[in-house]
Amino acid sequence: MKATSAKKIRKIAPGRRGVGPGGLTLIEALKRNRQLFEQTGHYHGVKNLKLKADNYLRYESLHARLRSAVVNAREMSKKISASPGVREVGESVVALYTPEGDSVALSTGIMVHVHTLSRFIQWMIEHDYESDPGIAAGDVFANNDPFISDVHPPDLMNVAPIFYEGELIAWVGTVAHELEIGGVTGGANQSTTAERFGQGLTVSAEKVAVNDVIRRDFLVRAEMNLRTPIYYILDEKAMVAACIEVREKVIEIVAEHGVDYYKQAIRSIIEEGRRAHLERMRLLTVPGRYRAAAFCGHVFEGKVGSSGLSRNCIVHIPLDMTIDRDALMTIDYEGAGPKMWNPYNCPPAAMDGGFFVTLTQFIDFDGKVNDGCWFATKMILPPGSWANPMDNATSTSSAWASLMPGFGSLQRMISRSFYARGFREEVFLGQVNTPIMEGGGINQYGQRFGAQNLECAAEGSGARGIMDGIDCGYVGWNPESDMGNVEVWEMAIPILYLGRRIWRDSPGAGKYRGGATFSSLLLIHKTPVYNLVSTIHSDKVFDNQGMCGGYPGPTARFQYLSRNSNIRELIANRAPLPHIEGDPRSPDMQRMVQGEFETVDGVFLERPLRDGDLLQFFYNTGGGYGDPIERNPEATRVDLDKGIQSLELAARVYGVVAKFDPAAKLHSVDTEATRKAREQCRRDRAARAIPVKDWMAGQRSRLLNQDLGREVKEMYKDVFGFSERWSREFREFWKLPDDFTFKP
Amino acid sequence: MTSYPKDLIRDLIDGRLPWQTTKQVMSDFKDDGRFETYLEILQERVPWKERILLPLGEHLYIVQKKRDRIVKCDCGHEFGPYTENWKLAASIYVRDNEEKLEEIYPGARKCDPNWMEIREYYCPGCMTQLETEAVTPGYPIVFDFVPDLEGFYRDWLKKPL
Repeated sequence: MKATSAKKIRKIAPGRRGVGPGGLTLIEALKRNRQLFEQTGHYHGVKNLKLKADNYLRYESLHARLRSAVVNAREMSKKISASPGVREVGESVVALYTPEGDSVALSTGIMVHVHTLSRFIQWMIEHDYESDPGIAAGDVFANNDPFISDVHPPDLMNVAPIFYEGELIAWVGTVAHELEIGGVTGGANQSTTAERFGQGLTVSAEKVAVNDVIRRDFLVRAEMNLRTPIYYILDEKAMVAACIEVREKVIEIVAEHGVDYYKQAIRSIIEEGRRAHLERMRLLTVPGRYRAAAFCGHVFEGKVGSSGLSRNCIVHIPLDMTIDRDALMTIDYEGAGPKMWNPYNCPPAAMDGGFFVTLTQFIDFDGKVNDGCWFATKMILPPGSWANPMDNATSTSSAWASLMPGFGSLQRMISRSFYARGFREEVFLGQVNTPIMEGGGINQYGQRFGAQNLECAAEGSGARGIMDGIDCGYVGWNPESDMGNVEVWEMAIPILYLGRRIWRDSPGAGKYRGGATFSSLLLIHKTPVYNLVSTIHSDKVFDNQGMCGGYPGPTARFQYLSRNSNIRELIANRAPLPHIEGDPRSPDMQRMVQGEFETVDGVFLERPLRDGDLLQFFYNTGGGYGDPIERNPEATRVDLDKGIQSLELAARVYGVVAKFDPAAKLHSVDTEATRKAREQCRRDRAARAIPVKDWMAGQRSRLLNQDLGREVKEMYKDVFGFSERWSREFREFWKLPDDFTFKP
Repeated sequence: MTSYPKDLIRDLIDGRLPWQTTKQVMSDFKDDGRFETYLEILQERVPWKERILLPLGEHLYIVQKKRDRIVKCDCGHEFGPYTENWKLAASIYVRDNEEKLEEIYPGARKCDPNWMEIREYYCPGCMTQLETEAVTPGYPIVFDFVPDLEGFYRDWLKKPL
């Protein structure tokens, strides 16, 4: 799936002198690069790491300086951007590539895009951009077309060639995530588009700068097509600046070391990355077959608004991983359903990105982190599935909603390996979906706006194998998580925060719990119209799993809303205000405020919000690890004091008997009562559980009677019609007749 | 080459190591003798004599029992051959309605039981909750992991199995 076959590459005229290595055209160089790997099994045919052996310090110094160049460029470019997404949350990345588009060194940030940039460069090479529109020093190319190479349109990428003495010796690439992309609803990730049309402004591999100057027509298009063009324009300038910064630094380094040394070194650095990956696999993992299942749910039925979508759906996200005796990791999404009529599909580049960013966090987290690991792994994406739609009209605007559960499964699978080898400190049930507030309308300054509130970039993580998950500090797509300051979002969006606090009882329960996540309670401020649409949360199903007996994190599928509230009156009277959820059965917003209260399930498509309305938005967190009744009661006491845990769930889920001292405002645990409660919990389990074999007999009858909910049956029916292997394994497991299928 | 005392590994896997040292272990090169030390610690803890071949998850081990390789809980309960899914020999409780889900997920944060259920797999011997699954009703029981034991020992560890 990952390598494009040589026959796909456009033919070139014989004898043409190219800009690539040694006068080769870039197409020839790319073809040669792939052939060398296929023939030798080593990146670019580098069989021994001679440069490293001959002069270790010189070689390492070169790598460190290249890495420093991309890291520094990213930090500098963040200061040029005006977008809270890039400036505050760090939604950008910068990386250096070989002439053939393989990454050599990368910055921190949204590392998911290191390999999407690689695909973009290779797409231009394969389509002979060298001939038309031409590739010259000072050019910058942009793309956000998912089916050329991207996750979804908000991720705008720039790449620039680096020439030295007339030869293209490298590319620099950078990505900035845009908060507004001009889609059918305001903001970035559209959640209501059935096809790509409506996802927003798409740039399909265009030359956008010449001689280091951004084309005026490119900026005019942004000004005319976006609700808040200033973010996009300054992000573009930030990216071009980053490209120039890296280019100049690389030219300086090459001049110092000599171009021949540089060209050999970058190949060695990637080959070293490949070998390091394989060595780590042998040290940290166990060969074998791993399986997992994840799901994401979407509610559209009955929604009123701008969407043509009407069908509820459950996305089936199966994953099969094998590690063979050569330490090759193969991940296979066989059983994924067909492409969907909604924005939760993933182009192959998105799957590349999800895979790469998972590898960088779990296996390839230091040393030579680059595309080397890419040459030591394999990914199988069934053609025509939501994971590889094979149709560039498909909507992928909210691809992350399927990506994160899918690669959360990969994290869990690799963690099982770490557990088996004893590296329990690396066990991590990291990522879950990131619900996002999208929207647009008229802002507090009376201007048209569109913006995404990206505070979801620091929600709770899943648990770890030796400790709790990270509280309000993790997201799968950007390991350098930051939620941004409240005041910054209040400037960008017509809202005032009444509260941004820990969401009590949110972590997936376990011996080690998931990280606590948060919710924000917002007063809609000085706007006559704010069309709010949420995305990338999972409706009605948990999008994550626990491990070794832990429970999944909650659904975070809902928002509380109170229209026409008396909040201004409460503020004027200095009355108590809601700041947190409170009792989930009687939320503070409902209890303390008069207004038209409702709990909204799924994407929000109803009437616009306006000044004085209240909204409480919830963020996700991950699963727990281990049996909850094995949790150290002292850890639960601390959670009680911090407001992470309620007394009610501490008793019911953890078997911890505690009480609150109102005078000291502290909790204490009754150790003996806790011991007895946990013994009782085991007795309760024994009383209510049945042997799995008995339970299976009942489930088989249920399937034969087609006794399942409509959405679940539709999911199975779609997969049965699409994957022969998965449907056969399903029938075999339940011992169903060969002709069994799901009826409408 | 990095290596750590057995006591440190014991504290690490028990979650008792101070954070500063834990962080150091996380950030440093990995110790290639970890697996052997880990097995020693676990073997000392279990109340039975069968040799642990591979830890499978909290409380679960693949062990050598005479000529068989089986999955065994540290309480002594035996599940059967490791090449078959141990969950099929477990006890199960399924949270498949609002009331049962409400116990863990109060209010609106629970899944819709028409769309998803939580399966709890208990050890029949000690009633420890060994694994959970959050899946659509009717979903086949997931076989999480079947290791290539032969390849692992002979090709990777260079040791007899």
